[in-house]
Amino acid sequence: MPEWAATVLFLLMNGLIWGLIIALIALGLTLIFGVMGIVNMAHGDLYMVGAVLAFFLLPVTGSFWIALAAVPIITAVIAGPVERFILRPYEGHPAVTMIATVGISFILQQIALATYGGIPKKIADPVDFSFSLLGVSYPGYRLLVAGIAILIILGIYLFLYRTNYGILIRASIQDRQMAAAMGINVSSVLVTTFIIGSVLAAVAGVLAAPISQVFYLMGNDVGLLSFIVVIVGGLGSLGGTLIAALALCSLEGVLASVLSPTQAKAAIFVVMIVVLMVRPRGLFGEREG
Amino acid sequence: MADSGYLLELKDVSRYFGGLVAVDGVSYGVKKGEVRGIIGPNGAGKTTLFNVITGELKPTGGRIYLNGKDITGLPPHIICEEGMSRTFQLTFIFPEMTVFECVWVGVYSRARRPWNLFFSRADRSGPIAEKAQQIIHTVGLEEKTHEMASSLSYGDQKVLEIAMALSTDPVILLLDEPTQGVGPGEVDTIINLVERLSKEMSIVLIEHDMDIVARLCHNVTVLSFGKMIAEGTCEAVSQNEEVQRIYLGEKIVCS
Amino acid sequence: MQRERVYRYFALGALVLLAILGTVLPSGARSLMIQIMIFGIFAMGYDVCLGYTAQCSLGHSLFFGAGAYACVLSVMHLKAGLLTALAISVGSGFVLAAVLGPICVRLSEAYFVIVTAIIAAVFHLLAMDLIWLTGGDDGLCISVPPLKLGFVDLSLYQPLTNYYFVLFFMAVTYFVLARILRAPLGKIFVAIRENPKRALFLGYNVTRYKLIAFIISGMVGALAGGLYAVTLRYCSADYMGFYWSVLPVVWCLIGGQGTLVGSWLGVALMSLFQYYVSAWFTYYLLLFGVLVLIILSVSRKGILGFIASKVR
Repeated sequence: MPEWAATVLFLLMNGLIWGLIIALIALGLTLIFGVMGIVNMAHGDLYMVGAVLAFFLLPVTGSFWIALAAVPIITAVIAGPVERFILRPYEGHPAVTMIATVGISFILQQIALATYGGIPKKIADPVDFSFSLLGVSYPGYRLLVAGIAILIILGIYLFLYRTNYGILIRASIQDRQMAAAMGINVSSVLVTTFIIGSVLAAVAGVLAAPISQVFYLMGNDVGLLSFIVVIVGGLGSLGGTLIAALALCSLEGVLASVLSPTQAKAAIFVVMIVVLMVRPRGLFGEREG
Repeated sequence: MADSGYLLELKDVSRYFGGLVAVDGVSYGVKKGEVRGIIGPNGAGKTTLFNVITGELKPTGGRIYLNGKDITGLPPHIICEEGMSRTFQLTFIFPEMTVFECVWVGVYSRARRPWNLFFSRADRSGPIAEKAQQIIHTVGLEEKTHEMASSLSYGDQKVLEIAMALSTDPVILLLDEPTQGVGPGEVDTIINLVERLSKEMSIVLIEHDMDIVARLCHNVTVLSFGKMIAEGTCEAVSQNEEVQRIYLGEKIVCS
Repeated sequence: MQRERVYRYFALGALVLLAILGTVLPSGARSLMIQIMIFGIFAMGYDVCLGYTAQCSLGHSLFFGAGAYACVLSVMHLKAGLLTALAISVGSGFVLAAVLGPICVRLSEAYFVIVTAIIAAVFHLLAMDLIWLTGGDDGLCISVPPLKLGFVDLSLYQPLTNYYFVLFFMAVTYFVLARILRAPLGKIFVAIRENPKRALFLGYNVTRYKLIAFIISGMVGALAGGLYAVTLRYCSADYMGFYWSVLPVVWCLIGGQGTLVGSWLGVALMSLFQYYVSAWFTYYLLLFGVLVLIILSVSRKGILGFIASKVR
């Protein structure tokens, strides 16, 4: 295989895997928006929280995988009360709720800064094998991440489309008032959705921790990318988000081979602008924003 | 260009929402000076039809003409400029503005010029203000001229809605259930108002109350499941078997 | 219009007070006051967007930062005079808003918020990256050219001159904006805020007016950025950071959105808060976050809005 093709393939793989991680985060974001109508500006910071928690749990539990299992539980315990007691009072006022999430974002970042510190640190790869694909050697952990991410996405899909509770959630995305009128316990749907969305972001953070560096501001970059993905895919559209995540991250990955990282990011941004000019609701967006 | 003597004309207008047919091939014409009632059971597509006519929705098929001009698919603010005004089912006013201001905004819409947009005073004097006062007087809200729109009674808000629709100097007025939810005393006020207005402009009226329809309307169009199933004078329509079937024994009395 | 009168008296009173304070305050407090005035300008511009047309932009740091850079770069590279540099700042705000505005203002609420945030974030990244032009987050220092008034040259290095220079712009901005908002345009803005669909059906091209509001607020934000750079003799990529997009929202929410000048109260409170708290608490932003939550739960009308609603 020629040198350049190997590089492109490598970058494409990177892009796709990163796309899967971003897909997890963006799915959480779009779910929260779709059901609750909230633009969660703290979503990127939940990703950071997951990574930071993993960093702290590693020495305690001794195993990355136990940390991976523990983080969702801890996140759920935090996210539930936050939704119920901090965000719920502003229900019906999306702008105010959004500013409240900004406040939460600052709080999360500062707590991380105070406890974890301001220096980016790395977590070691939990598995140490390489996979050989078409003559290119690829780190095994990343493939594992891809596998886990795919499993989670499948799990979310099955949950939303095959279980009764999932149907309730999707009904709430379609029409919240109608859902309430049909006797769906809206309160429990709201909390559950927020928890699921937050856990998705946090788990993405855990998975990403060995790949990128853990830094108290890491949520900003990732948050920005997730927002671009969600806009391009269409707010509230789960399928659109998934497609946009994979497409945009692969594109960025490949572009990064010829352009600088910032230029690649700017290119993604231009893609978003173009999409918006043609379809102000994103590619698959339907819900009234 | 359709030149059929109709002020408002619909030709085979349809509107689909995915697989759902909300409006199905509706055609009718409203003459100058006519008051046309649109009736039909809930979900028959009456408000959707209004939405299509006034530009909020694009029709999936068909054409709409106002004064001979094709207005199909034009945006609402352009259609308003062409002389069509509407009211909405739920009161749709500017809560934090006074009655005067609400009407003023509509009057100004017709009179605006780029140079007075930024720096002239949006005040109580001048031709625009006078016209606004006139309209408020016509609808009978003078006493409440400087009250906040949000503090008006529901019936008064409905009247304010009509005033706002009038403020853009329409040639045809589309009223979407103007008496819905309004107390009995205020219903009469509104009916009288509509009657007075019908002398000056054409009106298309969605209504559920048959008495009102009988009293106000020259002609009636009946919709059911998006299709027009009858059209004609109130009497003629009330004799129509299919219409009677739809209203399930409700007696349509035409005086 | 009782409420309008409350706002007007408040504004005039505040301006007079500021004029007096300039001569009376000790130098530390005076510097803080200059900042408060500059932020007051920024806040007024932002209120046109948020309070008057209900467009909650989270991207106004773009205008602030761009205005700062336009000013600094034109002094550094074009050898522009002080007033020219500030005019270029305002111009940059106009251009950015006029180019990016059409994309943003036709988006529905949530999309608008997100996209403005994204745009500002991308420009922030660019500013951090193009170090040769912007100095990154180390920033650029300038020496401020004197204010040439024809008959005399005044130096902004004199604190009093700096103070009254900024106060002048604050007063001018207030009078211009107040005038515009009392004109038909202002009523149209309010109508659009109260019920955009209704305004549309009354014959108004709502998108066009939202764009006008966006451009006005962009120009004023850029002016504030330019003044900030001139006062600090410095600007950096940080000025385009998200924090500067959040501040105007908080100012307007605390002080009263849609009142034009209520935000001055928000500015004063937040600036005093920052000045005193950041001195003893490193994680001042944590308290900022908590404060935001508290403010939001207490009143969404803001202080001045609350006071005005009590006056009938």
